[in-house]
Amino acid sequence: MRFAFLCRDKPEPSNRKIAIIGAGPAGLSATGYLVCHGHEVHIFDKLPEPGGLMLFGIPEFRIPISRVREGFAELRDIFGVKFHGRTKIVFGNKPDEGDSFVDEFIEFDKLIKDFDAVLIATGTWKSIMPKIEGGDLKGVLPALSLLFKIKCARLGYISWDNITPLKEKTVVIIGAGHTAVDVAIECMSLGASKIYMCYRRTILEAPAGYHEINFLKNRGVIWYELSMPTRIIGENGNVKAIELQQCKLSKPDKNGRRYPIPIENQFVTIDTNYIIYAIGQKLTPPFQQDIDVKLDDWGRIIVDDLHMTSREGIFAAGDIVIGPSKVGRAIQDGLYAAEGINYWLMGEQS
Amino acid sequence: MKKVLFIDYNRCIGCETCQSICEFIHRDKPFIKIFQTSTGLSIPITCHHCENAPCLNICPTKAIYKDEDDAVIINTEKCIGCYMCLAVCPFGIPSFDIRIGAMNKCDMCADRRKRSLAPACSEMCPCVAIFFGEPQALEQTIKAKIAEELA
Ligand SMILES: Cc1cc2nc3c(=O)[nH]c(=O)nc-3n(C[C@H](O)[C@H](O)[C@H](O)COP(=O)(O)OP(=O)(O)OC[C@H]3O[C@@H](n4cnc5c(N)ncnc54)[C@H](O)[C@@H]3O)c2cc1C
Ligand code: SF4
Ligand code: SF4
Repeated sequence: MRFAFLCRDKPEPSNRKIAIIGAGPAGLSATGYLVCHGHEVHIFDKLPEPGGLMLFGIPEFRIPISRVREGFAELRDIFGVKFHGRTKIVFGNKPDEGDSFVDEFIEFDKLIKDFDAVLIATGTWKSIMPKIEGGDLKGVLPALSLLFKIKCARLGYISWDNITPLKEKTVVIIGAGHTAVDVAIECMSLGASKIYMCYRRTILEAPAGYHEINFLKNRGVIWYELSMPTRIIGENGNVKAIELQQCKLSKPDKNGRRYPIPIENQFVTIDTNYIIYAIGQKLTPPFQQDIDVKLDDWGRIIVDDLHMTSREGIFAAGDIVIGPSKVGRAIQDGLYAAEGINYWLMGEQS
Repeated sequence: MKKVLFIDYNRCIGCETCQSICEFIHRDKPFIKIFQTSTGLSIPITCHHCENAPCLNICPTKAIYKDEDDAVIINTEKCIGCYMCLAVCPFGIPSFDIRIGAMNKCDMCADRRKRSLAPACSEMCPCVAIFFGEPQALEQTIKAKIAEELA
């Protein structure tokens, strides 16, 4: 990917320095725009390599790893972009658990002092997990954490021994979106013997589309539509089975949407080793305390026409502004934010 | 030298990067667009710059021509907005642009090609689904890629 698609060579330096927090598609496309306008860009990411979810979430069979790597190599080698990996920007709050790759913590306030402008492009990394009986048993996993580990192993950052062993195991996937499909395909390739996919509506409503679900069914995935998890049954702290409530669809409401209605006393129980929830991502603002950057009711960072937050000189872009979206939307948001930064720094000169 | 813009629908994941980039450089009017089919597939639709372009052949004012790279271009000055090109295009591409009062469509990033840059969608597609180049070199690249994947 040529993130610096707007130019070929490094232009005259502008003598402005910009910090980007988060090297996902939004942060990288913003970087590409900014280097084509002569700015010096430093990218900070808690992961060891740039790419965000393109590299650490979305499976390799969708986005080739080499394509993302080539893209960043150009930013580094031709445009002198500096990547500060394994570096987490902290906003006064204590470090989170599980930042396994982080070597260095930098305070947000320090970053602001060292740069002319700062772009927050930290994405949405928390998975939605339901409150359900047995939800804390060992073997209940959010989809992203499984896909993240698999990608870390493929990229060579952790050994395959650290991956949840799937060979000859049974997996129940909850959800029918693209992430659920990704999980099913990865489980297949890692040797799971039985894969179930449960969805509360029917194949016709599946967010991943009829075509993708049918493809999985043809490859042996057992499709359970009109079923909703009611409880997870454990044994010695591990998952043993899941109980599903059978449903039927309501009449279409005025928007044409049909809702699952439980059918009384109709349950099925499936024995399984793992239950993987692929029901979406939650907004996760990178700061827990008030740093004067305003959020909306959903936790998205509010930005103005220039993509500036409520704090002067601090900009934001990507899924942290628009909510969980797509690579293309994040890229475009990054470009508009970079345009805003350039205008704010250079004025009419830009 | 003839250049082609070829989309491999099998590699496309529907991420909308091509459309987003095109929209960014053309200010709110992308020439490449992703359509969601009723079966849930995402298909990018854009001009194929046909070798034997029906739009070019039918245009009553000869507003459509081929440039030095064989890209099919609409001269918006000459266009009278009669929609004949859209009627004959197998992909439904030409689109009336109210801002200029003429038909418009993908010009294979003409401005970029003048600066030796490839079309933006092909440069940014994360999945290498959009190929750009001289026909033979491009076909060679695709075959080599497939060989790599078969191995
Ligand atoms: C499992 C999964 C599959 C998906 N599949 C697709 C798909 O097939 N097609 C598609 O178009 N979209 C897909 N998406 C959505 C897409 O990945 C996102 O919309 C997109 O990556 C968002 O880009 P972003 O730049 O805003 O954030 P991200 O890609 O999330 O990048 C944010 C970066 O910020 C870093 N970061 C966060 N906090 C800090 C901090 N405090 N300090 C330093 N660094 C920090 C993170 O490490 C990360 O690298 C998928 C998402 C998921 C979860
Ligand atoms: S950028 Fe590539 S993968 Fe994404 S929608 Fe366009 S053609 Fe498909
Ligand atoms: S507009 Fe249609 S007919 Fe004309 S060149 Fe493009 S695809 Fe072919």
